[in-house]
Parts: sequence; structure tokens; C-alpha cells
Amino acid sequence: MNALSKLTATILAVASFTIASPARALDKPTGDVILTVRGPDLKNANAGDTAQFDRDMLQALEKRTGAMETPWTSGKVEFSGPLLRAVLSAAGAHGQKLKIIALNDYSAEIPYEDATKLDTMLALTMNGKDMSVRDKGPLFLVYPFDLDPSLFNEKYFARSVWQIKEIEVSE
Amino acid sequence: MIKQARHNGDVIRRASKTTVVLQVFSVALLLGLAFMAVDIVKRYSTLQDGIRENALWSVYQFDREARRLHELVHLYLAQGPQSGIAVKTLTTRYDILYSRMNILEQANFERQFVLNPEIGQRIAAIQDTVYGIVAPFDALAAGKDVAKEQLLEVDGKLETLLGATEDLVIFTNNWVSTNRAEKRSGLMTLQVQTVVLVGLLVACVFFLIFNLRRQLRSVRRAGLDLEAMATELNESYLAAEAGNRAKSQFMATMGHEVRTPLNAILGTAELLELQTLPQGMLAGVQTIRRSGNALLELINEILDYAKIEHGNVDVEMRPVGVRALAESTIEMVRDRASENGNLLELALPDNFTMPVILSDPTRLRQITLNLLSNAIKFTKDGVVTLRIAELVTSGPGCLRVEVSDTGIGIDNASIDKLFQPFSQVDSSISRKYGGTGLGLTICKQIVEAMDGRIGVESVRGKGSTFWFEIPVKPARIEESEDHGMHDAQAAVALKTLHILLVEDNAVNQQVAAGFLRHLGQNVKIANDGFEAISAFENDKFDLILMDMQMPNLDGIEATRRIRALPDGQAVSIIAMTANASEDDRRLCHEAGMTGFETKPVTMPKLRDIIARTEQIVDPGQMASVKAAPPERDSEFDTLYEQRRAELIEALGEEGFNELLDSFFEDAREIILKLRSTASPKDQQTIDHLLHAMKGAAASVGLGEIAATAQAFRSGDFSPGRLEELEHLLDAQKHRLAA
Repeated sequence: MNALSKLTATILAVASFTIASPARALDKPTGDVILTVRGPDLKNANAGDTAQFDRDMLQALEKRTGAMETPWTSGKVEFSGPLLRAVLSAAGAHGQKLKIIALNDYSAEIPYEDATKLDTMLALTMNGKDMSVRDKGPLFLVYPFDLDPSLFNEKYFARSVWQIKEIEVSE
Repeated sequence: MIKQARHNGDVIRRASKTTVVLQVFSVALLLGLAFMAVDIVKRYSTLQDGIRENALWSVYQFDREARRLHELVHLYLAQGPQSGIAVKTLTTRYDILYSRMNILEQANFERQFVLNPEIGQRIAAIQDTVYGIVAPFDALAAGKDVAKEQLLEVDGKLETLLGATEDLVIFTNNWVSTNRAEKRSGLMTLQVQTVVLVGLLVACVFFLIFNLRRQLRSVRRAGLDLEAMATELNESYLAAEAGNRAKSQFMATMGHEVRTPLNAILGTAELLELQTLPQGMLAGVQTIRRSGNALLELINEILDYAKIEHGNVDVEMRPVGVRALAESTIEMVRDRASENGNLLELALPDNFTMPVILSDPTRLRQITLNLLSNAIKFTKDGVVTLRIAELVTSGPGCLRVEVSDTGIGIDNASIDKLFQPFSQVDSSISRKYGGTGLGLTICKQIVEAMDGRIGVESVRGKGSTFWFEIPVKPARIEESEDHGMHDAQAAVALKTLHILLVEDNAVNQQVAAGFLRHLGQNVKIANDGFEAISAFENDKFDLILMDMQMPNLDGIEATRRIRALPDGQAVSIIAMTANASEDDRRLCHEAGMTGFETKPVTMPKLRDIIARTEQIVDPGQMASVKAAPPERDSEFDTLYEQRRAELIEALGEEGFNELLDSFFEDAREIILKLRSTASPKDQQTIDHLLHAMKGAAASVGLGEIAATAQAFRSGDFSPGRLEELEHLLDAQKHRLAA
């Protein structure tokens, strides 16, 4: 896929989402909250001014599946999970920067475009199995290394946060 | 100059060599650079492979997680449930440590890091500890109670783990630093190598440029030198050419200067021969004449060569009767052939497909004569054959003339030199046979000027065949000049004309006047142009023989002035000169001269001139001669009758009879002398006697006797011939007496 068509597809996807999901509050999570999205002005906040997601809510969002190699796994591994932009859209977030925070308080700041322009996903499963904390779970920010090999470098490795618990959106 | 050119050449050659060496060196350097580039690419690709997880970071993270877990466990133990630490937090911390352990085990660190045995050992030890404490945490996660002792044990193990992880952090840091330093130094080496190579290459290119510049400079200098050399050569050539032209001019002038007195000598000798002389004297006179003729031939050859070398071979195309030309040419050398005891043969085809061709008769005769003279000169008591054939192939016709002899021959090595100027087969030849060595060169030039070719086949000791072939075109027979007529005309008695001889040289005057008087002409002499004009004004002449170069007023100017006189139009004026150039002809023609004759003046030439003038003065008489050329027998009769009539007219009947008597008396004496010099080897005496008889016979108009005597002069004079001559004399005497 060349850059232009990819961009067009992304724009279309974003557009369709905005049209398909008008500002409506998120349902309250019924299971364990595994992800909290914070932001200055979340349109779809469901817990105070944050949006909280359980596993089922995330599973329901637009997702992608990709098989790829990463520096932290051996051999080709299949990741599957909601697209980051789907999650952000579900939360009604908008901004310039994203701060991805892990369980161990490791965090990485990534530009918002990484969500909109790249098919970045919040992987829920690895090789079809849910990821435990011991296996970098519950959420793992996976860049589309399979679609764009040029992403395979230290810059994106540092952004590939696992054991994610929170996403902070800022301007 | 040449030294300079050679030096330039050396410089260029040396520079070329250096360039080649530098080129080879550059290629080698480029190869080195290519290898280096390949190496760099390889190293870069290893760097690409090395886009992996940062080992130090992972180890550090692991250490941090281990510390946090230890802290948490410690706090939990110290304060118990009051610490406010949820069990979930505890297990999550363990899970995180566990995941970190996985990273350490599975992540793609650098190959050397993974393969390092010490690191492997350390990680294995750590792994044992981490996995060794999994049970209590699993139990906690499952919501079971865990004994405090068990947690204390975990705490103790974590304490040990911390020591190990810290060591691993330090070790890894050291390893990474060392590794980086090593890599950097490797890269440094590569860089240095590349820089050196590039430096060398740059130096090489610089040298190449320098060398090319030097080469270019040399080439330019060489070019300039060459140009200068060319100019110099051209100048030298022009100088040489000028020198050569001066030489030719000198030769022409000298030849002319030599020819004039020679004419006088030859003419005087010929006149003397016609007188009755004591025997010893006659032989001497003949020697003078023969040597003079030989000398004249030499000079003519040299002059011809000078002319040809000048680049002007005049070829004048006229219709030529081949047979007549061949016959008359061979007649011209008959005397010389018999002097050398050679038999002359003429081999002509029975029928020519082109009996008359368009060619230059003078030149054809000149070449043929030259070849014949050579053949005769180098053959003793042999056979010389003139063979003429027509080579009618599909294209234009070709005339082949061959002169074969049975003489000394030429070996193969010398044949090449034959047609070179001034070369004779060897110096002994020139000593023995004489000659200029120019004859064949002249022949070659002329033949080539006629688009023909000339060649020779020869076997040493057996003889030679010289041949030439010239392309010819047939001509209409009417246009042909009948060369055979000359001999016949020679015998025709001439009408007496009133002739003005304009000549400054006293001897030439005497000779020409002698000849003319002998030809029965009325001669008046003028010493220069002015005298000629005044003589013409006072008298009426049929013919003026005008010398070209004279003091006071030359021939050209005198002719102009005479032509300008009221009666000056009708008279025939013939130029007599040794300068036979085209320019002279043109000048003469422009001045209004009727004709042009080259010197030396000979009897036949004068006879010819007089005959031609006669034709103009009295066309009827000549026309009759031309219209019906008499047969040979009756020709002699007619000649005799004419001569007799003339002589009787001049001397009276008695005088003529006395003349006849004295002739027959003289003839008898000659016959006696011929008989007494029985030895055929005394050619000279015999020749002299026969010549005397011929002259005497001709003077009284006895043409047949004169012709026979003349014919017997060539070849051996056998007793048979003597008898034949005696019979002829008797027969004539009887006929005339009757």
C-alpha cells in the first residue's frame, strides 16, 4: 500500500468514525478496568472526566490483527487488538500528544499522529491468547512493523509500551 | 630542429608511460575503495541487524523492578496488612518482574551479548531466583494465605537477587562500553583506511592532471615545432627546387651554347666530305662528323631530360603511319648497326588494323630510336629486332613496340635501376659504352606522358627485350604524314630560289651558304637584322632564312619590320634557331614567320625548306610530284633527267658530259680501292669510299648508284656486293652512252 492510499484510507476511516459515533457517553465498564484515558476535554467520559475501558469494551472496537517480529519476542508473533485511534475516538479524545503509561510507571510520549496516521493497535492477544502481566499484558502498544518495516528502529521501540494502564491526551 | 622534435617525442612518450602507470595505480585504488565500500555496507547492515532491544536498558529495568518488588515485600513484611499494600499490587509487581525476566531471556539483544557465557551464567542464576519464588506469589494471587516465613524467605532471596542484578547492571554497562569502544575503534580504522585511500586517489588524480597538462604542453610544443619544421622543409624544398630549376636552366643554356659551335663543326665536316679530299683527310673528317653527331646526341638527350625534369613533356598528337615510321626509324640506325656488325630486323604484322594512328610521331620515333640505339650499342655481331604489334583487346587499341637484341643482357638486380636518371647498370658500362644514362629515363617519362608503360625482360648474356605500350586511336589515312616521302623528296632536284640568309656567325654563314649553293640556290648573306631589311628593300627574295639571335636587331624584330614593308607580306621567312621551345615557336608565329626550323642546319632540312617554298612559289610543279609518286626505277630516271637538265642548263651539254666522265673515272678508282682493301675489317675506309661514291653519284643525279652505295655502307661489304656495284656502274655507263 503506498503512502497516499494509506492516508486516504485513514482519513476515510476517521471520517466514518466521527459520523458513525456521534458524541455519546461510553457505557460504564462492567469488568475490571484495564485502561483509563485521561484528557482535558473528553467528550465520551464515563468515569468523572476520564474514560475507562474493560476488556469487553476494547474487544468491541475496530481492531486489527498483524503477525510480526519484535525485539522482545522470539520468532513471528501474531498480535490482535483495537486500533489506538478507535480507542481514542471511543473516548472522544482529541489533542496533539499522547502519554502512554505502564503499570511500572514507565511512560512514553508519542505524537497523536501515531494513532491517526499509523495502524497502531493496543494488542490484547498474542498468538490468540490474552496477555497476562507476566506476558507484557494486559495491553501492548504495537506499531505496524508488518506493514511498514521502516518503523523497525529504536525510536518506535521506545514508544512500544507494554503493560499499559493509562493514556493521557494533551494538547 | 630534428633534435628538438625527437626531444618532444621523448617527452610525450615518457609522459604517456607515466600516465599509464598512474592510470593503473588509480584503478587499483578505486578497487581498494570499492572493497572498502563493500565493507562499510556490510558493517552498516550489521548495524541494521543490531536494531534490537537495548541490553543495558533491559538489565537496568530488571534491576529496578527487582528493587521495587523487594521494597514492597519488605514493607509488607514489616508492617503487615496495615501497610495498606494490596496483595494485588504485590502480585502485579511480581508479574512485572516476571515479564522483565522473560524479556531478558527472549529479547533480541546483540548477538555477542547473548553469546557471552558469563552473561548467560549470571542471567541463569537470576532466572533461578525469580522463578524460584513464583509459588508464594501464585498463591497470593489465588487469594490463599501465605506463611510469613515463606515471605521472609522470598525477601531473603530477593536480597540476594538484588546483589546479582546490580552486578549484572555493572557488568553489562562495562560490556556495552567496551563493545562500543571496540566498534568505534574498528570504524575508526576503517575511516582512516578510507581517508588514506581517498587521499592516495586524490594524489593520483592530481598527478594524472599534472601529467596530462605536461603532455598537452609537449604536444602543443611538438605541434608548433612540426609546423616550423614543415615551413622550413617547404622553404628548403623551394630552395632546392629553385636550385634545380637553375641547374636545368643552366643545362639548357649550356646545351644551346654547345650546340651552336657544334653545328658549325658538323656542317663544315659535312661540307668537307662532299669535296674531293685526300683519303687520310676524308677519314679524319668522317671521324669529326661521327664524333660530332655522337656529341650532339648526348647534348640533345641532356637537354631533353632537363626539359622533362622541368615537367613539360610536349606531346603533339598527329596522324602517324605506323609502317612508315617503323621503316624510317630503322633506316636511321642502320649505319650504326652495321658498324657493330649487327643484323637489323623489322618484324611487322602483314596487315595493321590501324595502319594510321593518332599519336606523336616525333616522340614515338625518339623512344624507338633510343631503344634501338641502346640495343645496337650493347650488341656486337648479333641481331637487333624491332617488332611492332597491335594489342587489340576489348577496350581501346594499344600499340606495342619491342626492341630485342642478342647483346650482353642485364641481370635482375640491375633492371630496377635502369629507368632511374643518371644510372647505368654499372660504372664499367659507362666507361666501355659511354652515354648519359638518361635515355631510358627520358623514354619512361615520354611513355608515361602518353599514358603508356615501358618495361624490359632480360637475361644476362642472352640479350634483352625492351618494350613499350601506348594506347592509340585510329586516325583517318588522309591526315597521315607519309614519312616515306622524305627520302624520295630528298632525291628530287630543286628549283633555284633567290634566298637571303640572315646569320651573324661567320662559320654558320659559310655552312648554310655552302649547302644552299650545293643545292643550287642563289644566296645572299646578311649579317644582322638591319642588313637583312636593307637587302630586302633593294632586292626581291623567294625565301629568307632568319637566325633568331643576332646582335643589333634580332630575327623576331627584323621579321616584324620586313612584314611591315610594302612587299613584305609574300616572302617566306623561316626561323633558324637552336631554341626549340614552344615559346619560341609562338614568338616566331606572332612575328609573322612562315616556318620554324631547329638547328643544326642540315642538307635535308634545307632541301625540305626549299621544296616547301618552291611549292608556294610554283605550286604546279610540286603538285605533280605529289600527285603521282614515281616508282623506284622510273624515279631514278626522272631524277637523273631532272638533274641532267638542270646541270646542262647550268654547265652546258659538254660540261655535263665531262662531269659524267669524271664521275665514272672516280668511280672506277673507288672500285679499285675497294678491291685492294679486301679485308672487310677496314670498315672505315670502305665506308669512306662508299660515301664518296654516293656523294659523287648524287651530285650528277645518278640516284640508283648513290642509293646502292649508301645501302652497302651498312653491314659487311662482301666481294658479292663489290661485284654488284661494278655491274651497276657498267650498266649505267652503257645506258648513258647509248
